[in-house]
Amino acid sequence: MSQFMSGEDLRSWLGNLAQERSLIAPTRSDGLVLFGAVSRAEEIALDYDNTLLSPKGHLFPATDTLFTIERKEGGIELVPASVEGEAAIFGIRPCDALGLRVLDKPFLAEPADALYQQRRARTALIGLSCHKASPECFCTSLGTGPDDPSHVDILLTGAGEGYIVQAVTERGKALLATAPLVEAEVTPPPAPSPTPVPTEDIAEVASSVFDAPYWARLADRCIHCNLCAYVCPVCYCFDIRDHSYMGRMERMRTWESCQSPGFSRIAGGYEPRDTKGARLRQRFYHKLLYMPEQFGVIGCTGCGRCVTSCPVNIDIREVISEMQRLGVSGAS
Amino acid sequence: MPPEVEGTGAVDPFLPYLATIRGMVDLTPDVKLMGLELDDPAIRDSFDYRPGQFAFVSAFGVGEAPFGLTSVAPRREELEFAIRRVGTVTSALQELEPGDKVGLRGPFGNHFPLEDYRGKNIIIIGGGIGMAPLRPVINTILDRRADYGDMLIINGARSPQDLAFAPEFDTWAQAPRTRLELTVDRGDEGWTGSVDLVPTVVGKLKPSPQNAVAITCGPPIMIRFTLAGLRELGFADHQIVTTLEGKMKCGLGKCARCNVGDKYICQDGPVFSFEQISRFIEQF
Repeated sequence: MSQFMSGEDLRSWLGNLAQERSLIAPTRSDGLVLFGAVSRAEEIALDYDNTLLSPKGHLFPATDTLFTIERKEGGIELVPASVEGEAAIFGIRPCDALGLRVLDKPFLAEPADALYQQRRARTALIGLSCHKASPECFCTSLGTGPDDPSHVDILLTGAGEGYIVQAVTERGKALLATAPLVEAEVTPPPAPSPTPVPTEDIAEVASSVFDAPYWARLADRCIHCNLCAYVCPVCYCFDIRDHSYMGRMERMRTWESCQSPGFSRIAGGYEPRDTKGARLRQRFYHKLLYMPEQFGVIGCTGCGRCVTSCPVNIDIREVISEMQRLGVSGAS
Repeated sequence: MPPEVEGTGAVDPFLPYLATIRGMVDLTPDVKLMGLELDDPAIRDSFDYRPGQFAFVSAFGVGEAPFGLTSVAPRREELEFAIRRVGTVTSALQELEPGDKVGLRGPFGNHFPLEDYRGKNIIIIGGGIGMAPLRPVINTILDRRADYGDMLIINGARSPQDLAFAPEFDTWAQAPRTRLELTVDRGDEGWTGSVDLVPTVVGKLKPSPQNAVAITCGPPIMIRFTLAGLRELGFADHQIVTTLEGKMKCGLGKCARCNVGDKYICQDGPVFSFEQISRFIEQF
């Protein structure tokens, strides 16, 4: 027996949820499915493979005010940004939920990133299992899967005319206290099977192919548009700068990418990664070697968004396979 | 501790302390020495730091940038930063005057392990603004002169007027068992000293690697040739120490701007021996 909620009941439960906390859910706009704040259940899209962007930006916004700077009687007062109210993200896929788990590593390490920490603590995750695997998906090669409940508070899996409901955490149980659940004998459809990618021992392999000419060759076609970092649920490099406008001063944090020329350029002009090859390699190595070394996690969830988005077809699945080939043959 | 985030008990590591500029002195045509006093007396009293550590200084409304602390904590003096005009933040900081408010976050990073160097001969090799993080090393050794062996200071700059810490040269040169060698790329009519590149001077002076540590900071090209010269003299990589510069934005191991291999320069460094650096997967 499983806990079950009909499609109609799900909408009414989500509608109620949206009244008591801010609800972030997939919405369809101009044909694109994106996470956004919703106030009514009718705004929520349920028929999508995955959202164009992960919900990363709701915990780590692309542009975030860290504090405002106010001049008062010749002095300065700094007013920290505040996070208010509870939130829930509905419709997060298991890969993106894993992505938040990975972001926790740098952001919650002491001293914790205050804004991220508060948002994360106040945001419940209501996951939705994947009913199909997109051609670019490879989550099962990165320790998660289409119906993996490990990183969400509640997991819903579409079955028949409704959803099988798994309350994963105490917070999930509390959220479901008022949900119209019924006990039902339903069998979930078989989970889709994404095409595997050879990620075994990738960190070890990476340390042996660092000097391969492959990186420069691969980067030849990179136009450092940074889309890969923009769509990635894990990429977390950022910039900090002050913004002054009409007398209002703020210290802002914005997303950055290691693919940008100048990302590592230091005062005086020295540029340690002065080629596209060195910068492209940095992105893959940060994910596949340095994050495993620093935090014990791979900085990729297999969501496939960078594969879909790259205008010059740089494909992390091919990169991983090629690293394995180079590592085995020693043909660097 | 940084200010508490209201109602959470957590602290916001991005929120700077407020500080007041007490001193602003021209060191060279493009370097100013900024002396700061933290506004909160409790933070001022507990703010401790070691040679090699750095902090971010904010020009509010423009931004913040990391600078090595160039003062020494035990002297209880102002927090000093040698700020060279290279970009928007440093230009804005240079325009400030005594009495103006700035922000300060820090101290961050590791430090030169001077406690491990007791009894050793010390060779300091600095070029240009690279002398800023070495100045507190020199002054700490001078304050505890008996604890250390001979000290040789080699300080180079583009021109005589670019030698940033000239007001202290007499004190350094006259300290016991201390030798100061100055060199410039281009002299002027008043210059009678050496006109040579720093690595050339190292090669001429031939400091002995016996019971010695070489501490170097300067432009990357100077460090590269100095390293080669020291190795030629018989210095092992663990005897050569530097402080790396990274495009640090947070100082907290989060923004990933200074990531190199499994290290963050801001947290694991900025001080590294060349034995450590040579084990980095990527050479910086």
